[in-house]
Amino acid sequence: MPITHRNNVTVNGLGGTAMMFAHGFGCDRNMWRFIEPHFRNDFRTVLFDHVGAGMSDLKAYDTEKYSSLDGYAADIVEIGQELGIEKAVFVGHSVSAMIGALASIRAPGMFNKLVMIGPSPRYIDDGEYSGGFSAAQIEELLTSLDDNHMGWSAAMAPAIMGNPDRPELGEELTNSFCRTDPEIAKQFARVTFMSDNRADLSKVEAQTLILQCSNDIIAAEHVGEYVHNAIPGSQIRHLQASGHCPNLSAPEEVILAMRDFV
Amino acid sequence: MSEGKHAEDLEDLFEHAPCGYLSMRPDGRIAKVNTTLCDWLGKSPEAIVGKRLRDLLNVAGSIFYETHFAPMLRMQGFFQEVALDMVRADGGLVPVLANAAERRDGSGDLLFTRLTVFKATERRQYERDLVEARAAEREARRQLEDIVSSLQAGMAEQVAIVMEEKRNSELKEQFVAVLGHDLRNPLAAIDAGASKMLRDQAWTDSTPVILRLMKNSVSRMSALIDNVLDLARSRLGGGIVLNLVDRPLQPTLELVIAEIQTAHPSRVISTRFEIARPVRLDHDRIAQLLSNLLGNAVTHGAQDKEIRVECTVDSAGNLALSVANAGDPIPQEMIPLLFQPFHRGQVRSNAYGLGLGLYIASEIAHAHGGRIDVESEQSETRFIFHLPAQ
Repeated sequence: MPITHRNNVTVNGLGGTAMMFAHGFGCDRNMWRFIEPHFRNDFRTVLFDHVGAGMSDLKAYDTEKYSSLDGYAADIVEIGQELGIEKAVFVGHSVSAMIGALASIRAPGMFNKLVMIGPSPRYIDDGEYSGGFSAAQIEELLTSLDDNHMGWSAAMAPAIMGNPDRPELGEELTNSFCRTDPEIAKQFARVTFMSDNRADLSKVEAQTLILQCSNDIIAAEHVGEYVHNAIPGSQIRHLQASGHCPNLSAPEEVILAMRDFV
Repeated sequence: MSEGKHAEDLEDLFEHAPCGYLSMRPDGRIAKVNTTLCDWLGKSPEAIVGKRLRDLLNVAGSIFYETHFAPMLRMQGFFQEVALDMVRADGGLVPVLANAAERRDGSGDLLFTRLTVFKATERRQYERDLVEARAAEREARRQLEDIVSSLQAGMAEQVAIVMEEKRNSELKEQFVAVLGHDLRNPLAAIDAGASKMLRDQAWTDSTPVILRLMKNSVSRMSALIDNVLDLARSRLGGGIVLNLVDRPLQPTLELVIAEIQTAHPSRVISTRFEIARPVRLDHDRIAQLLSNLLGNAVTHGAQDKEIRVECTVDSAGNLALSVANAGDPIPQEMIPLLFQPFHRGQVRSNAYGLGLGLYIASEIAHAHGGRIDVESEQSETRFIFHLPAQ
């Protein structure tokens, strides 16, 4: 099965350099709808869904492969190879910031620049390190995913799967936006919130920009600073935008910061 | 307000509606909250206004809200029936279902996000029970499938064992019947010879012939009994015990060939020996092995074609002893069964015994650390005993 089908890859834009956008846990590539079109004039933009999310091929979901972020990083490298991407820009939101870091380490030369939006190398506190959550809180999160299970299981699949050419905000997507198979969502949540990539940060050679939101409970400011200090030569930019999804809540600010960097 | 306090008071509706109301400014801070929700949470409006929604949620819920419902709200302008747990002043949880909608102005700028919450303790508990029941059902189904498949496998195995036992016991009954029959024939021949000589009362021209026939019958009975005893020995444990000696091999082989030749004077048996060095063997057993292979060739080979016995021992001490005969080739699918005592489909009686010969020969080969190979083609069938240098 082609990788582009597996990961629901779309390429747009007029530029020579590629810019790949990777969504985080909880959503899909629609996350970038306010950002990606602004870069089409200068870049070849690449949008995709992680396997298990959005319009990716759910049949390609392999519990073993996706039991760590490496499986997702391997997919990104495969997409990059398929599209012949070199010296590109990788834009990763949330957990995909770390997935992008792993991919850049795996495939030197594929990504020259990383934009990390709300990155966290580890969500659970560990001794001196403060990730923002206790192990018990994360466990509670993983358990509580079931609470929104009822709606998820019935409504989700037919609406999304039945319409390959889904209009961007069509009626049929009502309340099903960013939904996927609950079992996959649970496993992705576990992999995301149990991950620990602190040791990988020093291996990142790509030029890195960290976009840090204010009042982001998922990736707090001191976590952003930790990433900044750990990645050699990285820059950090503090956004006015609050919350975890500035790409949705404050796209202009994100675009401006990205433009300055790329 | 001419209708006075009978008219619905919108302010009162907002404050005391049977659901919680909450409005957030574009920066996510709470601008307004109604009394119903304050009461449910045990908090004053002052303690809530200015906070963010996530400050009212437990940690898991706030992560979920940030990763799922905030994006959904921004993308489609609303969400519905989201399950959240709000935290009371005393730390307890209020399970709710929430709907939210954005309110935008004419130019599309966000004015407020409005949230209504419905207490759903019972419903949420029921849904959780359903989820757990579903998980339990899935687990039970999985266990049931495991049980069914292991039962199926177990039954198939049991059936195979029973069938095998049945077949073996049938074969054993046949075997005993054939053994009795086969022993009776040479015994009858000896009896007849002895009677004839008793009648003759003297040495006549036919006496040597009769004696040779009687001796052949004795040899045949003796071979049958040896094979049966070996079968019992190899089956009842211990296997075949060897008495290994260094002695020239050729005389042992020639003796066996002479015996068979005597019993079957019409058959042509050619030999070729190239024995470079002595090999440590149990000579009686090797004699039995060759005797069985030769007996097999005499029985199954073409009557008018020669039987070729070859024995080579190279300078390293590798031994190859082969018996070849012309005749119909052995069907390929039969070859693996040739060396099994009870698995030949049926026990056949033939001129040279019970069909145990090849089994015993291969047991002898194994006991020595060697093996017997079969090559069966249109031109000839050849059994080869290979014994690698020790």
